[in-house]
Amino acid sequence: MTAYRLQVNGKQHAVDTDPDTPLLYVLRNDLALNGAKFGCGLGQCGSCTVLLAGQPAMSCMVPVSVVGARPVRTVESLGDARQQHTIGVLQQAFIDEQAAQCGYCIAGMIMQATALLEREPQPSDARIRAHMAPNLCRCGTHMRILRAVRRAADRLAKDKR
Amino acid sequence: MNRPRRKRHVKRWLLLAAVIAAACIAWIIMWRPALAPQTAIPSFDDTRIARGANVATLGMCASCHTPDLSRPFAGGKPIETPFGTVHSTNITPDAATGIGTWSLDAFTRAMRKGVARDGHLLYPAFPYNHYVRMTQADIDDLYAYLMTRPALDAPARPNDMTFPFGLRPLVAFWNLLYLDDAPWRPDPAQSAEWNRGAYLADAVAHCAACHTPRTLLGGPDIKRQLDGGEAEDWYAPALNARSPSPLPWTRAQLASYLRTGLAPDHAIAAGPMQDVVMLLAQARPDDVDALAAWTHSQLARAPVRETPANTPGPLPAPRADDPELAAMRLGHALYAHSCARCHDAGRAASSGTALPLQQAIALYDPDPRSLLHLIDDGVHPPDGEAGRTMPGFRNILGDEQAVALAAYLRKYGAGQPAWPDLDDTVRKARTP
Amino acid sequence: MSADPGRRRFLAAGGALTLSFALPLHAVSAELPESLDKTPWLDAWIRIGADEQITVFTGKAELGQGIKTALLQVAADTLRVAPSRVRIVTADTARTPDEGITAGSNSMKDSGTALRHAAGQVRVRLAQLAAARLRVETASLSLKDGVFVTPDGRRATYGQLVTGQQLHLRATPQAAPPPPGPNTAIGQSLARLDIPAKVSGAPAYVQDLRLPGMLHARVVRPPAQAARLAGIDSNAVERLPGVVKVVRDGRFLAVIADGEYRAVKAAAALARAARWDTPAVLPARQDIATLVRAQASTAMPILERGGPIAGGRRLAATFTRPFQLHGSIGPSCAIAQLVDGRYTVWTHSQGVFPLRSALAELLAIDQDTMRCIHVEGSGCYGHNGADDVAADAVLLARALPGRPVRVQWMREDEHAWEPVGAAMVAEVAATLDASGRIVDWRYDVWTPSHNTRPGKAGNLLAATHLARPFTPPVPTPSPQPEGSGDRNAIPYYLLPNARVTHHFQPKAVLRTSAMRGLGAYCNVFAIESFMDELARAAQVDPVAFRLRHLEDPRALDVIRLAAEKFGWDGYRRTPRRGRGFAFARYKNLAAYCALAVEVEVARETGLVRITRVAAAVDCGEIVNPDGVRNQIEGGIVQSASWTLLEQLRFDAQRVLSVDWASYPILRFGQAPDKLDVHLIDRPGQPFLGTGEAAQGPAAAALANAVFDACGLRMRDLPLDRERIRAS
Repeated sequence: MTAYRLQVNGKQHAVDTDPDTPLLYVLRNDLALNGAKFGCGLGQCGSCTVLLAGQPAMSCMVPVSVVGARPVRTVESLGDARQQHTIGVLQQAFIDEQAAQCGYCIAGMIMQATALLEREPQPSDARIRAHMAPNLCRCGTHMRILRAVRRAADRLAKDKR
Repeated sequence: MNRPRRKRHVKRWLLLAAVIAAACIAWIIMWRPALAPQTAIPSFDDTRIARGANVATLGMCASCHTPDLSRPFAGGKPIETPFGTVHSTNITPDAATGIGTWSLDAFTRAMRKGVARDGHLLYPAFPYNHYVRMTQADIDDLYAYLMTRPALDAPARPNDMTFPFGLRPLVAFWNLLYLDDAPWRPDPAQSAEWNRGAYLADAVAHCAACHTPRTLLGGPDIKRQLDGGEAEDWYAPALNARSPSPLPWTRAQLASYLRTGLAPDHAIAAGPMQDVVMLLAQARPDDVDALAAWTHSQLARAPVRETPANTPGPLPAPRADDPELAAMRLGHALYAHSCARCHDAGRAASSGTALPLQQAIALYDPDPRSLLHLIDDGVHPPDGEAGRTMPGFRNILGDEQAVALAAYLRKYGAGQPAWPDLDDTVRKARTP
Repeated sequence: MSADPGRRRFLAAGGALTLSFALPLHAVSAELPESLDKTPWLDAWIRIGADEQITVFTGKAELGQGIKTALLQVAADTLRVAPSRVRIVTADTARTPDEGITAGSNSMKDSGTALRHAAGQVRVRLAQLAAARLRVETASLSLKDGVFVTPDGRRATYGQLVTGQQLHLRATPQAAPPPPGPNTAIGQSLARLDIPAKVSGAPAYVQDLRLPGMLHARVVRPPAQAARLAGIDSNAVERLPGVVKVVRDGRFLAVIADGEYRAVKAAAALARAARWDTPAVLPARQDIATLVRAQASTAMPILERGGPIAGGRRLAATFTRPFQLHGSIGPSCAIAQLVDGRYTVWTHSQGVFPLRSALAELLAIDQDTMRCIHVEGSGCYGHNGADDVAADAVLLARALPGRPVRVQWMREDEHAWEPVGAAMVAEVAATLDASGRIVDWRYDVWTPSHNTRPGKAGNLLAATHLARPFTPPVPTPSPQPEGSGDRNAIPYYLLPNARVTHHFQPKAVLRTSAMRGLGAYCNVFAIESFMDELARAAQVDPVAFRLRHLEDPRALDVIRLAAEKFGWDGYRRTPRRGRGFAFARYKNLAAYCALAVEVEVARETGLVRITRVAAAVDCGEIVNPDGVRNQIEGGIVQSASWTLLEQLRFDAQRVLSVDWASYPILRFGQAPDKLDVHLIDRPGQPFLGTGEAAQGPAAAALANAVFDACGLRMRDLPLDRERIRAS
């Protein structure tokens, strides 16, 4: 067991755990954050996607020992970072499009999309499709997920003007 | 007074004559005539087309000309060269944007001489300096196959060449140096299968285009055949006595690798090699076996040596007297926490065992780029196809961590001397 | 639970009686509709608190199909209250009616109908109570948002009226009149109740449950079903950090630890410490047709009409479907706790009541000492690992009384051990007369069981691995019209002479069970592909061909709507592209679904691109239109994944498809360019199950479109790239 200081969703956390523990388990079990999900633990499905220093990372493949001072963001951080569960623009777009069936993949989708929209505010539809490719959805909600990301992109662009 | 002036006059005229002569010679070297466009595509019998399909897969046409699987042979793939970015062209039989108006003669000239139908010279990113040694029968069959594909509208994308290398006529001088049009000759001392493999490797699959180093002018360095080269920023290992593979390749391993992309407990195809094996999987099995036979004969020249690959197992912690102890400790921790979960000998990882890292050829390459690609991007089969997968760590490991991990693996995994300038290579690899 | 065929159902609709029949007809009995029949007390379904809170109880479970929201809408609408005033409690053996399994697209029919009926009678009862309290005639009361108002403005709220046992009444067969005024919730696309939590990371799944003192466990499964444990030395594992207990009972091996990743590592160590003998018993090199036909089967005729026809033009074809995986994106998970001799199990099983029965048998305890509570998991699409992991959890809870034990299957566990979608072989033959009509039809389908759900402990995986193992009961097929492997084997078309036979196979080379649509996926694929072949042989447009063989106006309507929205007439073929059509009525008694697809095929690479889809659906009276669209869209995209990509692979010893790398499914790059679902609402008609209606038609439409695009008639699923390249 080793002590780690992690910055998650803008707050510092002290965690005591084995160094090889994937960040996914630290988030879920030590910090009681549900957004990142266990889908495969193999880096193949993206259900565990978080942002690590602004880049999408599959938290099941991130040993807690490599995180260091880099900020971690999960779906709980979107919207007003001071409040848990605040709905941000992407989350609202997913709600507006009812872009979920079982919903298990959705938090990962939202984080993956966040990484894109924070870098490329006006991505083309083809770009969105290509960017979301690492994330799997088994229920077949693909069309709605793409529409939700598109909707969020359009809304963010409008907010900027 | 007259004699010196006449001397200068003569000199000037001689100079002018020389310039004109040089220009004429240069023009003769650089200029090629347009060949008349054909107005109708001839028909071909199915056997020729089937043979042509095989030539196309062995010739790796799709690896450059099919970047979009939904538009076969429509081209558009950007190919980075030291001279700029070239885009592959549309080789479907579309009349306006493809090769639909190309007669067999025009097609043959392109394959052997690198000249397009309208006379412009093709950049040698297109490996005509290998295809030149294809038999006419193979070129005929390939023509039959390509001309019977669905015609797709796909205009050539503009290239982005560094001046003056974009000037196509200058390619003629490259051709003078590197276009060897002597026909391919079998070696009578070798078997039919070996010769078939040798022919395919040189003239069709053009292995040396990646696996032989290039000169400053981008031509093959024929004095260092198969000494190792590069493709798409990956290091393509030497296929001869200088093979970096810590364990000798067996013929069966090679055959398995070329046909499936995987030699169990030995190697996995990654990077540009994935396209190669994906196409070889569709080629005639006996041709792939022939390639394996020939390639094996080259690799068999590599001396057998003692490496850590002979004793695979968990990679060790750094020695207490290691001069770079702190960095090596970091690298070891990264290995233990990130890699060992799958790569530790004896751990079954998901749908297949991952190689114990002492046996990973990339660690023995003279060049760390392939290892860095593997660490950053992992290995993924094409979308929708089953295959081995390794996740990428680009967004997980910071630059310093990637450097430390690569350095540690090089020293404690392969027992090889450090790669120079590893820091720079990592930074360059990670800058888009 | 309504598995019985042949019940006549009465529904009042605007004063007109509508009869809907399932075949065959039985004598009319004074039965209550659907799930009410088993649970007739009104307050088992609806409770009203003095605080005006209305609680609705359903035995069905939210699987991500939106049923919680839809059922709540039905109740709220019928009670004429705002949906925001209603809470819904799902599938809990201690609190809700027993509605069996949430499957078969039966939830709206079973539970929605029951709730509507019960809520109607509750409303009538409340009106009577209000009339008595306010001393007026019931007819003079107006009702708005749960408040009765007299003409002179006096009021009585629902909460004021229910102070004791007023709703403890048995439901009566006669339906209440419809609530006054226009629908307030039915027919609206009410936003799903569960989505906000899912996009914000609030607890939503069984995987999110954290109980005080909870321990984490992992099971170490054998390398294959036939593997035998030769030996194990677990001493070192027991000493690993965090390990609380190592459990071994026969081939059932598990480790319980105080931290989740420690459990993962300990399980890996335990796996390495075990030695297995894995015999080579699987038929690795056989094609599906050979493999399936090699199993013993019992011929069960399910349709025998007319006789064989001589003459005419005869066509025949054989279609196959491989084993396929549910592939739930979140591997199965359960938590169990044993306290003072009583078990509580938190599970995403589709059927908490049958599960409880099986678990009780497994543990040799009284059912009453166990409570199974449904908590959402990820999409299950049928019988996945949910029940099995619950069995794992109770066995481990028993080994550590007092502590909650959470068992999470790994990805490899779910892929390698879920009961798979059954392989199928279908042989079709038909005769066309000179006018291009089908005069004779023969259909034979061979397939193992599509239902090995617990009820019995022998259908729980761990139970078969114990030192004294339970034996799986011999599966029996569900009778028509529900069917199992023979679901939708009887075409909906008018066929004067037809013989359909289900060759049921009690044994299979792999453990098979219910997967979305059951046999309907392959049967509709086969029938609708063959209808296309017949249409072309008769030189008739595929849509027109179907229309001429149907009478049901609702079927005609969906077909015409899908064709119209696709632009079927006047379609201009472009190179490499083609169109395909398919229609089916799920189980011949549930929702109608027609769809038209355009694909683009690249033969050289084998890639099939879905450029556009137009679907039309009739599911009776629509409760939540967007919910229906969501299910159909999802069904089409999921079916596209099955149809274009998926087949389970195994070698002589074991299943090889153990993760996404070895069992690829559709990614965003292959999702359709455009997908539109058009709904036909039938107010007053019974609710028809929709969740599985698109699986079969999507497969056939794709195959028909591929043929239209490039002339390849593919009869073996999946239509994957290798097959297209090779042909």
